[in-house]
Amino acid sequence: MHQNIARDGKLASTDAHLSLEGVCKSYGNFTAVSKLDLGVRKGELIALLGPSGCGKTTTLRMIAGLIQPSGGRIAVAGREVTFAPPYARDMGLVFQSYALFPHMTVARNVAFGLEMRKLARSEIAARVEKALDMVQLRHLAERKPRELSGGQQQRVALARALVIEPSILLLDEPLSNLDAKLRDEMRTQIRDIQQELGITTVFVTHDQVEALSMCDRVVVMRGGAVEQVGTPHEIYEEPATSFVASFVGRTNRLKGIREGKGAVRLGPELVRISSYVADGEIELMIRPHRISIAWHEGQPVGNAADGENRLTASLARITFIGDLVQYHFHSAGGEIIVEQATARDTSQRRVGDMATLSWRVEDTFAFGAER
Amino acid sequence: MENHQTSLPMKIVVAVLFLFLLAPVLLVFPISFSGEQILSFPPESWSFRWYAALANNSQMMSAFTTSLGLALVVTVLSLAIGIPAAYAIVRLKVAGSQIWYNLFTAPLLLPTIVLGLAILIIFASTGLLGTFTGLVIGHLVVTLPYALRVLAVSLGNLELACEEAASSLGAKPLTVVRRVTLPMMAPGIVATAVLAFLVSFDEVVITMFLAGPRLTTLPVALFHHVESQADPLVASVSVLLVLLTLAIVLVVDRTLGLTRTFVK
Repeated sequence: MHQNIARDGKLASTDAHLSLEGVCKSYGNFTAVSKLDLGVRKGELIALLGPSGCGKTTTLRMIAGLIQPSGGRIAVAGREVTFAPPYARDMGLVFQSYALFPHMTVARNVAFGLEMRKLARSEIAARVEKALDMVQLRHLAERKPRELSGGQQQRVALARALVIEPSILLLDEPLSNLDAKLRDEMRTQIRDIQQELGITTVFVTHDQVEALSMCDRVVVMRGGAVEQVGTPHEIYEEPATSFVASFVGRTNRLKGIREGKGAVRLGPELVRISSYVADGEIELMIRPHRISIAWHEGQPVGNAADGENRLTASLARITFIGDLVQYHFHSAGGEIIVEQATARDTSQRRVGDMATLSWRVEDTFAFGAER
Repeated sequence: MENHQTSLPMKIVVAVLFLFLLAPVLLVFPISFSGEQILSFPPESWSFRWYAALANNSQMMSAFTTSLGLALVVTVLSLAIGIPAAYAIVRLKVAGSQIWYNLFTAPLLLPTIVLGLAILIIFASTGLLGTFTGLVIGHLVVTLPYALRVLAVSLGNLELACEEAASSLGAKPLTVVRRVTLPMMAPGIVATAVLAFLVSFDEVVITMFLAGPRLTTLPVALFHHVESQADPLVASVSVLLVLLTLAIVLVVDRTLGLTRTFVK
């Protein structure tokens, strides 16, 4: 389904429902967003993922028209909207703080956008009812926002944004003020509604689980620039930069020196890498659950299989987290954490136990070390 | 849900403080029912004669009407000027907002007697002395700083996201102000109105410079009355003023809640 999307996120302009070309925003000397190119297809749910200050919210606000870009071009369905005021953009916006109108009832909140569109009263009432049904809040229509729980307020905000049938739905950290259980429910609900309506959606979040689990594609941002655009699978399995590898999912970072074409030296040991990287100092990243452990129980460990990397390490600490157990090892490349599903004999291991750690060469991400 | 348990010593301290603050105000109540010819406490006989005297005192009654009308006009104008000014400074952040804000609120820091004198000098040459317009302008100098201050704080505390949400839902800027900003500022607007009304109604210093023999306000009339006569009439006027203030405060409390209006 996504094969026609280039890896750098650019789409042929006819293909993109929402397109950003070279969009930037600076405040004096500070660059919040620099030269951002992005194409979002019709009906796609795309996440802008990154730590705070990475420019994701600024980007969303430029799409919404709440901030004017310092340069570049934003277009929706081929129509340029770069400097159009927010009220002329036809976008549904959901805020982290919900931003419901405190002096209006739930129904009036939802009706607001329709009133602005000067629809007939009967049609407004019908559409408000339908929107509240969609988020299962019809019974609270006459309440004021402050009488609602956080999750309910969030659903009202969603209904208010969707009832106008916007061309694009913009979600700014919509789940971060909710507790964990509610967040899971809302994730599913937002995704279901988005799929059902087929609405093009941009979702800003700092939570990788939200981005990976809900979205068709993920844009990882850092310091105002895009690090990588790809499907959740691509972002996780083929991170383009060391930042992406360490920000999305957990990872071990080992420092080594490039040796020959396809290997990196960690002290006395050599680790093979599959992709070309820079010379000199190299940073290796391996996901903790992709490593298997062969404990040294007297007999020698067999030879390395083809396409496998190995490293000898000694156990430094065990962290038991219920479903998972984390083994912290000392190795020639630094500390390595290995995660395994817990088993009955987990507690038998002792600090100082020696083991050979192995993982597949293609699970070894190698990047030139950052200065 | 905090459970406030006030200890006995604390209750006593609070009671003493209240008594200290309110004793002079409470004192005028018995005095106003005095049957005596001169101001004294405690009165030796009781009557309603000073309330009757007040009703028949055309000078006091017309001063009261002037004060009431003046306070209403000043309140309306304070809001009409203060709201757009606060919006321009807090939301639009027009060039030099902070300077404008400081300039507008500066009269709060000046001694009112200096203000009164300055206004007197200017009005003397423009023929505004002793006129209703002159009094309105003079009072605005005092009420506007309060109004701007309260309104700016109230607007500054509003969550901008609500206005942004309204805008993204298709509301043009003026509609956003009318449908979202102003309703959300309601407590601040009521607080400003009450404050402006009471400040104008109580104003003495500047009014003394500007009022004339034909046009005067109640506080100034009272002041002059006490200068020449020491009868309990002033006590009955005071009682009515206290009751008026109390009524306003009660109305605010019942409609919006005192804490919400003045504390937050």
